[in-house]
Amino acid sequence: MRSNARIARAFAAAGALTLALTACGGGDDDTSASGDGGDEVVTVGFVAVGPEGGWRQANEANVQDTFTEEAGFELKYAPATNLDQRSQIDAFTSFVDEGVDVILLSATEGAGWEDSLRRAQEAEIPVILVDRGIEPDDTDLYVTRIAPDNYEVSTSVAEWAVAAFPDGGNYFVLEGPAGVSVVNERNQGWDDAVGSAANLVKIGAQTANWSTEEAKSVFETVLRANNNDIQIVFAQNDEMGLGAAIAVEEAGLTPGVDVQIATIDGTKPALEALSEGRLSFVAEYNPLFGETLLDVVGQVLDGEEVEPYIVVPSETFDSPEAATAALPTRKY
Amino acid sequence: MRDVAARRGAIMRNPAFWGVIAIAALLAINVIKDPSYLSIGYNGETGRLSGNLVDILRAAAPILMIAVGMCLVVATSGIDLSVGSIMVVAGAVSMELLSGMDGSTGNAALTLAVALGIATALGAVNGILVSVVGLQPFISTLVMMLAGRGIAKVITGGQNTTADNDSFAWLANGYVAGIPVVFLLAMAIVALVWLLVRRSALGLMLEAIGMDSRASRLAGVKRRNLQLTVYSVSGLLAGVAGVFATASVMTVDVSRTGYQLELDAILAVVIGGTSLAGGKFSIGGAVIGGLLIATLDKTVVFLGIPASATPAFKAIVIVVLCLLQSERVRSLFRHRRALRAQSQKEAVAA
Repeated sequence: MRSNARIARAFAAAGALTLALTACGGGDDDTSASGDGGDEVVTVGFVAVGPEGGWRQANEANVQDTFTEEAGFELKYAPATNLDQRSQIDAFTSFVDEGVDVILLSATEGAGWEDSLRRAQEAEIPVILVDRGIEPDDTDLYVTRIAPDNYEVSTSVAEWAVAAFPDGGNYFVLEGPAGVSVVNERNQGWDDAVGSAANLVKIGAQTANWSTEEAKSVFETVLRANNNDIQIVFAQNDEMGLGAAIAVEEAGLTPGVDVQIATIDGTKPALEALSEGRLSFVAEYNPLFGETLLDVVGQVLDGEEVEPYIVVPSETFDSPEAATAALPTRKY
Repeated sequence: MRDVAARRGAIMRNPAFWGVIAIAALLAINVIKDPSYLSIGYNGETGRLSGNLVDILRAAAPILMIAVGMCLVVATSGIDLSVGSIMVVAGAVSMELLSGMDGSTGNAALTLAVALGIATALGAVNGILVSVVGLQPFISTLVMMLAGRGIAKVITGGQNTTADNDSFAWLANGYVAGIPVVFLLAMAIVALVWLLVRRSALGLMLEAIGMDSRASRLAGVKRRNLQLTVYSVSGLLAGVAGVFATASVMTVDVSRTGYQLELDAILAVVIGGTSLAGGKFSIGGAVIGGLLIATLDKTVVFLGIPASATPAFKAIVIVVLCLLQSERVRSLFRHRRALRAQSQKEAVAA
């Protein structure tokens, strides 16, 4: 019996090792071209999130399209394995060991990056945070963070809610996974703006892990628990908002009439749903900031000082017409 | 008198009994929060039953599928860690095929067949690795768990894919005679599997392999074929679960669909009284385990437990349940009660 347990433990260790190896694999694929030691080519390590949704897809594709060989870069793209922070830390460490010129980091989880960032600092590799921040937010550990401002974006959703419901109403929040900086910032922006409007009543908040399927299941139960008495849903990403819309329809209500759903991100499916009236408000969280990133990387490598936080401007869509107008040129 | 006590003891010793108690307790908590929790409404317009219990049954369907598959694998003292990944592959295949076709019923049937076929094939690969190549089940299925999600990403190009097909969505969202189709299908499949393994010698043979694979071979049990079959069936059932999960929202989320559901499946199987050491299994128990997990998930939302406290709440429920199931813990309680009774008696005598 005891030997069985030992064998099981050995296999568990082997499993963890396999995970770590696959995580590094993503980064190592493109290394073949480097090593000629040419100073012209700048190697950029991108510790990325990987498949998560339409927004992330657009953002990472945009970064990859910006740092091309023609532009004088060699981008090493290392997406996380199933959003696992462990695999990101492994990729980050291997970039430091390789000695890339600059590291771009989109952390899946905010906490736990101090040691890795210090290692990069010791190796004098500048780290630029892309989109996601770290916690605690110690600006000494990285050069700058480039992102649309979550706080501002969710404030704009809250302002819409306050204006659209002058007589007040009950609202429910569908959050991303607990502990992610995006979730905390989006909650804060919303709470600060809605807190002043006393007639908007918070019924509750639940995580649906950014997923349509979970959001549907969660919101169907929330509607039952509250006898359908919910007027506003604040979904912290498009996918969850679309899941909530399905739950509302299945409960025999009409999204946009009985329950108004506001989402953040501004992906194509969400704008389509907005133009059909199934969603009521979509705040864009602009993913296409590769150009800004390119400028900043240039400045950092030239040794210039940059602001610790660079905000990317974002739009909002508050009507089916606005969504219909924006759809043909939507890239993501 | 002794007969009744013995029977009661037997029931108490059945782990599935405590699963039922846990479900009842969770439902009771919900009823305390809202007395109308258990009421089931009938909508005359759509002819559907609606209510929290109906929601639980619907949510349980995918878990039941993978739990039953896992139950058979565990009976042969194996384990299948790849069920969650096979779910996402089946979902990715379905959505990718449907997004390129018109929404006819024929296309839905074709898609279903292809998705389930691929899921079965992936399960068969597990089976070959375990039975023919002789690899440890843990490693073979771990490889498939990692590879499966990769395959799904390749199929959809790393994107979350959506599609439109009313017949396909009906599988997960439709109703027959007011009851959700998805639950009827799940129960029909469970019943079929139960009949196959318990009304024939198949179940016994699986248990024989789990107890002692060499002895079973000497007794004429074809280990290789049976293991291959069991892993293929587990793959097939995971494929069904994947179809249920993606059809309900007609979206496959390559990093989230079926993510970590293998753990739910293992939990359901263990709660139901199937030993992970193999050699003994209970499909009824796995069903109760699956229902318990669905009830737990829904209860957390219904009570409005904060997102950060959800894992802790679930863990407490599971730990308490496992303690109640443990013979040793129960006998400890009995012992203390007996001691106390005795000391009281002595005190009175003195």
